[in-house]
Amino acid sequence: MKYQASLPEHNDNISHEHPLKDFILILLGLSLAVLAGIWALGLLVDRVVDGMSPGTEARLTRLIAPSLPPTPEQAAPREAWLQAQLDGLRQCAGVASPVTVRLVASKEANAVVLPGGIVMVYAGLLGQLKSENSLAFVLAHELSHLVHRDHLRALGRSLVVIAAATVLTGDGSWAASVLAPAQHLGETRYSRERESQADAKALQILQCRYGHVGGATEFFEALRKQDGDAPAFTHYLASHPSMAERIAALQAAMRQAGLRSGQVQPLPR
Amino acid sequence: MEYLILLAFWSAPVVLGYVFGRTAEARHYRSIIAREKEQLQLPATSLKTLVRGGPVARSELVTGSVVISVDYFKKAASALRALVGGPVKSYETLLDRAKREAILRLKESCPGADEIINLRLETLPLAGSQRNQVIGVEVLAYGTAIYYAAHAPEA
Repeated sequence: MKYQASLPEHNDNISHEHPLKDFILILLGLSLAVLAGIWALGLLVDRVVDGMSPGTEARLTRLIAPSLPPTPEQAAPREAWLQAQLDGLRQCAGVASPVTVRLVASKEANAVVLPGGIVMVYAGLLGQLKSENSLAFVLAHELSHLVHRDHLRALGRSLVVIAAATVLTGDGSWAASVLAPAQHLGETRYSRERESQADAKALQILQCRYGHVGGATEFFEALRKQDGDAPAFTHYLASHPSMAERIAALQAAMRQAGLRSGQVQPLPR
Repeated sequence: MEYLILLAFWSAPVVLGYVFGRTAEARHYRSIIAREKEQLQLPATSLKTLVRGGPVARSELVTGSVVISVDYFKKAASALRALVGGPVKSYETLLDRAKREAILRLKESCPGADEIINLRLETLPLAGSQRNQVIGVEVLAYGTAIYYAAHAPEA
């Protein structure tokens, strides 16, 4: 047979599809699967947390409670006053177990609730607020997280999600980081939902404690002024709803339940 | 907001890899196709025997090798592929280019040869010592260049 020199007309060894097509299809498909997986695992965690007996909750709480540093002496009176405020709200919130308040020397205007029934109030918050009622709303919001067992939910969800991600993709692999945006989106959506529910419950607690809901939106109003106008899409990535959204939701809830605003008491300096 | 920054950190290497990787690949393919046409008259086969036949004046071992790097886009695409299985399309072009380039370099290393026999290809992944490091691939082509005593009769 005679050798004939020629080049193949078509390269069959490579695919001639656009490389992005493959990439985007798999990324979208897996991201949807991750969102669905987080949703399903979250439901499972919610069921476990909802079905947990108070005894188990108390045991878990003791297990994960952090130990706190002692309070500096000059902060003690303020902390005692905060503690009295919180104790006044506890009955309205339906919290039987003791809750401890800690004042943290920080310029940040925030408050967080830690597992183990500890509410940390950042000193910046007291400077930001003008009325006792608005402080009560913030404390009631943190108590609502406790009542809703949100810290256990958050803990359970992160445990389950991290475990699932590690099992499926291996520790610290590239695939895990490629799918991280979808995971984050699923987590923050859930977190915003829990925050809105805590706001709604805090409104009820405030009504129960003072007989009116005056001062409920004061803190968010103050933060909104600080925030300025963040681009709208950032809310989808945030763990908390936007301030404007929270104020609107609170006002809608007040209208719906026929709650009235009343005279607020000034915050003692 | 901090998440947007993280997202940028994640996507910047992928986008860079896509842009530069695609440009480099297109340029490489143009070069490969042009040079393959130039080298068309030098047959290269994996046979043990001669294609044209006749008295051989000289024969020598010739090699050609090339190292091509993976870019972040190809790596990300293959990481996604690894989760669902199937052909890793992003690496197909990489290996195709490497093999053809290695053979071209082999042919270019022996101007005046009449044919290459016993052509073999070896592929060698260059694994980074660290995790998440971008890796490359080496392809080595080797064979026997044949120089005939008499010039090829005009066909």
